[in-house]
Amino acid sequence: MTDVEITDPQYEDKIRLMQMLSLVRDPELELNIVDLGLIYSIIIDKGKKEVAITMTLSTPACPAGDYIKGGVELMTKEAFKDYVVAIVITFVPEWSADMISATGREELGW
Amino acid sequence: MELADHHIPAKRTIIPYYGAAALSLVAISILTFISAGDFKGHFFQPHLLAITHLTVLGWGTMIIMGASNQLMPVIADSKLYSERIPVVSFILLLFGTCLLVHSFWNFDLEASIFIGASLVLISLTLHAINILLTCKKAQTNNIIIDFILTAHLWLIVTAVIGITLLLNFRLSFLPAEHLHYLKVHASIGMAGWFLLLVIGVSSRLIPMFLLSRKEVKGFLTIAYYLINGGLILLLIEGMVLKSTRWHLVYISLIIAGLLFYMAYVWHCYKSAIRKKMDAGMKQTFVALGIISLPFVLLIAAVMCYHDTPVSVISAYGYSFFAGFITTLIMGQTYKTLPFIVWMHLTKPDRLADLQPKDLYKEQLVTIQMRTYLPGFLLFLSGILLREHYLMYGGCVMMTAASALYCSHVFYIINHLRK
Repeated sequence: MTDVEITDPQYEDKIRLMQMLSLVRDPELELNIVDLGLIYSIIIDKGKKEVAITMTLSTPACPAGDYIKGGVELMTKEAFKDYVVAIVITFVPEWSADMISATGREELGW
Repeated sequence: MELADHHIPAKRTIIPYYGAAALSLVAISILTFISAGDFKGHFFQPHLLAITHLTVLGWGTMIIMGASNQLMPVIADSKLYSERIPVVSFILLLFGTCLLVHSFWNFDLEASIFIGASLVLISLTLHAINILLTCKKAQTNNIIIDFILTAHLWLIVTAVIGITLLLNFRLSFLPAEHLHYLKVHASIGMAGWFLLLVIGVSSRLIPMFLLSRKEVKGFLTIAYYLINGGLILLLIEGMVLKSTRWHLVYISLIIAGLLFYMAYVWHCYKSAIRKKMDAGMKQTFVALGIISLPFVLLIAAVMCYHDTPVSVISAYGYSFFAGFITTLIMGQTYKTLPFIVWMHLTKPDRLADLQPKDLYKEQLVTIQMRTYLPGFLLFLSGILLREHYLMYGGCVMMTAASALYCSHVFYIINHLRK
């Protein structure tokens, strides 16, 4: 999961976006995709009005993959109206259960 | 990177299989109730043959074929090779099974039983080809795919032996007695088709559902060679040498393979992040516990081969299908069907209001499990003790659970109409 440092100049924007992305949930695990660790990086270019998100899926053939990607795009456009949104799906590094946040693990009963 | 949407097969390739299988389960319960007394006698009789084939083809194989059309693209990271083949396979399997079961029930060995068996064989072959070609496009090659492909191979072998046995009824060309080949047919079907497929699919799904951090795939490889080694030797000795002398050794190989699979599941569970299990997963683990039951009965049957009471052999087969397979499928239905229906309900321009868990009633799954399991154990006790009051009691509970399951399946499917 991408961590947003408090010293990051875009701290507030990124946190706001992460909160919006938290509304997208994995349908099988019933956990939001941020705590699931699917978001790898967020780059916000206010000058060009662009948001670039690099994310992954739990498996390349995840049947809910298109829904999750669509949800990320939808929520990003909701948070940053008039911005161009670019989403890149990567499988490097491969997602593993170790990427789940402490909150997520607690929710899953670990 | 190709994304999920391209891997989602059309509804018609999956949903009809679930619906037909659910109706078959209710039919099985009713037929079992009607024929409960027959379970006290020899297992080789028309009504039991009809019920067994309805269980194996109309229930087990039907739902497994439908589910594999959904799961294979996930397991093989590849699109289903054809979406037309599953539709043709479904129609052939449905009509073939109806003809076959009807003919067995009336012990009518004329044209209809051969037509039914041929339709089933064509259906299974088409399905196996579709799965093989789907896996051929797979971007990954692993032991799980090997399990699934080999299971399909054993399925075809089982069906071919079955048709040979039907022909033997008419032409009596096989050198050994009919019951000898019937045992080989049943063993290959149970361990080759059902067991290997269940191991293959569950080895992918269990760590995925539990979020396991450790998968000891080496255990699966050992299990694969032990089970297939045992099956090949069983087939050679049974069909070519016409003997059962070393049966216990081959069965021990299969059981050893099963133990390695259990060890794999144990590691998955121990390293799981997701410890909270829903009713579907709980029922799956109950089924994995029940799997020891038929094998204990099998060892008992083989060790006392010359004077094994037929009730033990009937109980062995019954515990495998009505215990292990049925419990497992009932549990996994709630892990797969709501998700399949949910995928067809979601819209690309908004977040889903409902999640898969909202499409079924968790409490009803628990009630269904608590009704079915005691019913099954009661019926099994009835077979072993030859006590028909126990059987009828068990039947009533299993019929209630089956009706509940069937209604639940159609309730889930019905969301697609909204």
